[in-house]
Amino acid sequence: MAILETESLTKSFGALTAVSDVSLAIEAGTLHSIIGPNGAGKTTLFNLLTGTFPPTSGRILFDGRDITGTPAERVAHLGLARSYQRTTVFPAFSLLDNVWVAAFATGKSWRGLLWRKAARYPEVIERARQALADVGLLAKAEVPAREISHGEQRQLELAIALAAAPRVLLLDEPAAGLSPDETRKMVSLVRTLKGRYTIVLIEHKIDIIMSVSDRISVMHFGSLIAEGTPQEIQKNPEVRRAYLGGVAA
Amino acid sequence: MLYALMGLGLSLITGILNIPNFAHGALFAVGAYLLVSAVNAIGNFWIGLLVAPLGVALLGLAIEYAGIRRLYAAGHDYQLLFTFGLSLILAEGIILIWGPVGISQLPPPLLRGGVDLGFTFYPKYRLFVMVVAGLLVLLTWLFLEKTRYGAIMRAGIENKEMVSLLGIDIQRLFTVAFALGAYLAGIAGALTAPIRGLSPGMGVDMLGIAFVVVALGGLGNLLGAIAAGLIIGVAQALVAAYWTEASTVVIFAVMAAVLLVRPQGLFGIR
Amino acid sequence: MRDLLKHPVFLLAAAVILLPLAVRPAIASEIWIFAMFGLGLNLILGYTGLLSFGQSTFFGSAAYVAGWLLKHYGINVVFALGIGAGVGALSAAVVGYLCVQRSGLYFIMLTFALNQMFYFIAYQWTTVTGGEDGMPGVPRPALFGIDFKDPLTYYAFVSLLFLVSLWVMKRIVESPLGKILQAIRENEVRAQAVGYNAARFKLLAFVIGGAFSGVAGVLYAMLFGIVPLEAIGFVTSGNVVFATLIGGSGSLYGPVIGSFVFIWLSESVSTLWARWPLLLGVAFVIVVLFLRGGVVEAWTRFWTWRSSKQKA
Repeated sequence: MAILETESLTKSFGALTAVSDVSLAIEAGTLHSIIGPNGAGKTTLFNLLTGTFPPTSGRILFDGRDITGTPAERVAHLGLARSYQRTTVFPAFSLLDNVWVAAFATGKSWRGLLWRKAARYPEVIERARQALADVGLLAKAEVPAREISHGEQRQLELAIALAAAPRVLLLDEPAAGLSPDETRKMVSLVRTLKGRYTIVLIEHKIDIIMSVSDRISVMHFGSLIAEGTPQEIQKNPEVRRAYLGGVAA
Repeated sequence: MLYALMGLGLSLITGILNIPNFAHGALFAVGAYLLVSAVNAIGNFWIGLLVAPLGVALLGLAIEYAGIRRLYAAGHDYQLLFTFGLSLILAEGIILIWGPVGISQLPPPLLRGGVDLGFTFYPKYRLFVMVVAGLLVLLTWLFLEKTRYGAIMRAGIENKEMVSLLGIDIQRLFTVAFALGAYLAGIAGALTAPIRGLSPGMGVDMLGIAFVVVALGGLGNLLGAIAAGLIIGVAQALVAAYWTEASTVVIFAVMAAVLLVRPQGLFGIR
Repeated sequence: MRDLLKHPVFLLAAAVILLPLAVRPAIASEIWIFAMFGLGLNLILGYTGLLSFGQSTFFGSAAYVAGWLLKHYGINVVFALGIGAGVGALSAAVVGYLCVQRSGLYFIMLTFALNQMFYFIAYQWTTVTGGEDGMPGVPRPALFGIDFKDPLTYYAFVSLLFLVSLWVMKRIVESPLGKILQAIRENEVRAQAVGYNAARFKLLAFVIGGAFSGVAGVLYAMLFGIVPLEAIGFVTSGNVVFATLIGGSGSLYGPVIGSFVFIWLSESVSTLWARWPLLLGVAFVIVVLFLRGGVVEAWTRFWTWRSSKQKA
């Protein structure tokens, strides 16, 4: 059964329809990519899925339950975590604290919220450290986030999402702004995550998409224009037209 | 109507410069006191009325030049402290120059006495103030709506980067906006002087009301500030007729009530 | 830097013990009361990043209510302090609820406007609050047989309470709540995205900060035996913001240092010149234009510079 589904999801901002009648089904355990030219509505789709704003119409189902309209701060507790296209971390915090707050939020209990020292939550610290280790940043756990490189910040971005121990990871262009070398590292990182989480990935770099995806959905001007396996998508004329603007194959 | 003037000036400053101007009330007070001095020095109310607000506007220019322009990037807490400090300096300065005791100012001979409106005897001066303030609001409104510079100012409220990208000197815009806001506060103060008398604390009281007007009207929403100012003025007058003590409190209570229902104010967007 | 961290506890203990030797016990008490007030504000301002410019609402309301009860109903000190915390928290809940839905300039203006509302209520309700003249005659009842009328005894009580409140605040900022509030300050959108209802947490910060400010207000009323109208006014709100910022809003001890500086200066200068607020205003202006970051930041920067020089 699909773990994450949308039914005719639509989002309009006044006269502009950013997402139009999108129906998707993400199968548990797979890596499902969403691609499309800039402005196709991919990030808006993520915003809808994570409750940043409610849809104009349509439904979102998580594990069979209707979660349409659930606000962002509740969505995290349901098991969806997201990383952002533009790095958005907690600059003054150390790397460990960055992931710690994410881990604490979805932790088993908030007992001692006001009086227990943050250092005395071993379970949370363990999950936080694990998230940093997964992305390879454990060595820099005490460094303030604003002092690490851009590439490392993208890794931190991912670690924050992982710290929530989600079931579904929504990754919005994790390789944005990375050098070829850093991109390679990011790709292998995503690969290691593949079995453990259901992943929905937005990316522009086609080679990444082709090499890691189980399924690909293509968006253009807010609508879904194609969906299938990487091979099917490569051969799809609609997709070519969207990306290349009608150049002959 | 005076509230509309104050609200408009403050809305302009907060909208364009995006700073919390806690000195706005003090500028109001300075306007009133300058009027008194001007009248005493020149002997003519009308000239004093013309001169005093210009003095406040000049003061506004000086403030903007010496201090505020250095704080645009500073963050609201520092801007707040600065204008708060300024309000203290101005209030104490007033005491130093004019003394701590309240003083009074008579309206000009032409406007003394009252007008028989049939159901009540209304002071001539207050009518005059209503008319003048109304005219000023209208003039300012026309300036902002119809002239090119006014349009630039309004655009500045919406989107500063855009305006500077269009090659317009954003610094000058800020300075003019602050001076204009100061002018409006000053003339409101000058007009008020003969109505209720002056005291060094008059600035703070007015500051709160000006903030309420801007909060209700929506930040940067100039028409909203005017409308909110009118509404509040009317509400206060109505309450004052029945329950004088509560009239000022009512202003704030109304604001709290409105904000409960509509967090963006009466006319704010979002 | 480890040495520096050990110092605050010693410095504070030393300060508490030595202060009455340097200034009158009443002023010393005022310093710690104001420091407590500042601690409450700093949870909202420094840690959550909300510029609350109406903190005197909670301080003054608590002072009035507890003062009234002390004066007319002869309640005991513990009860008075509890009332103070309660009134402070409750008024903060009301103000916070109306304000946390807005941000930036709007938020600041609202906290101020609501402060003015409470101020005008206090101003007009002369039968209860005494209006402009304030509420005189607030007693300082004995507790467990200890007579607090002696300034030094009261000072010991106040400073003890201050140390307790400091310890409580320290526990709070080191708790998950402290981290969550700072996360909201650092990046509210992300904090929401990872699962925290920002508005509710901001409100919680308000309530806690309000409670601290309320207790400070009651102690203030008992110290001077009167609740002046200014306790709930605009200048008090500004003063506590100033004291907090000058001490450095980024740390727990900042407001303490700032209160020291502020109260010491204001008490000294006010006896010399009635127009003292003018100098205060000038001080604000100078600090803002030239001395941002406050004393604590200057202090830590000094230590970093020194230790780097030592390594060289």
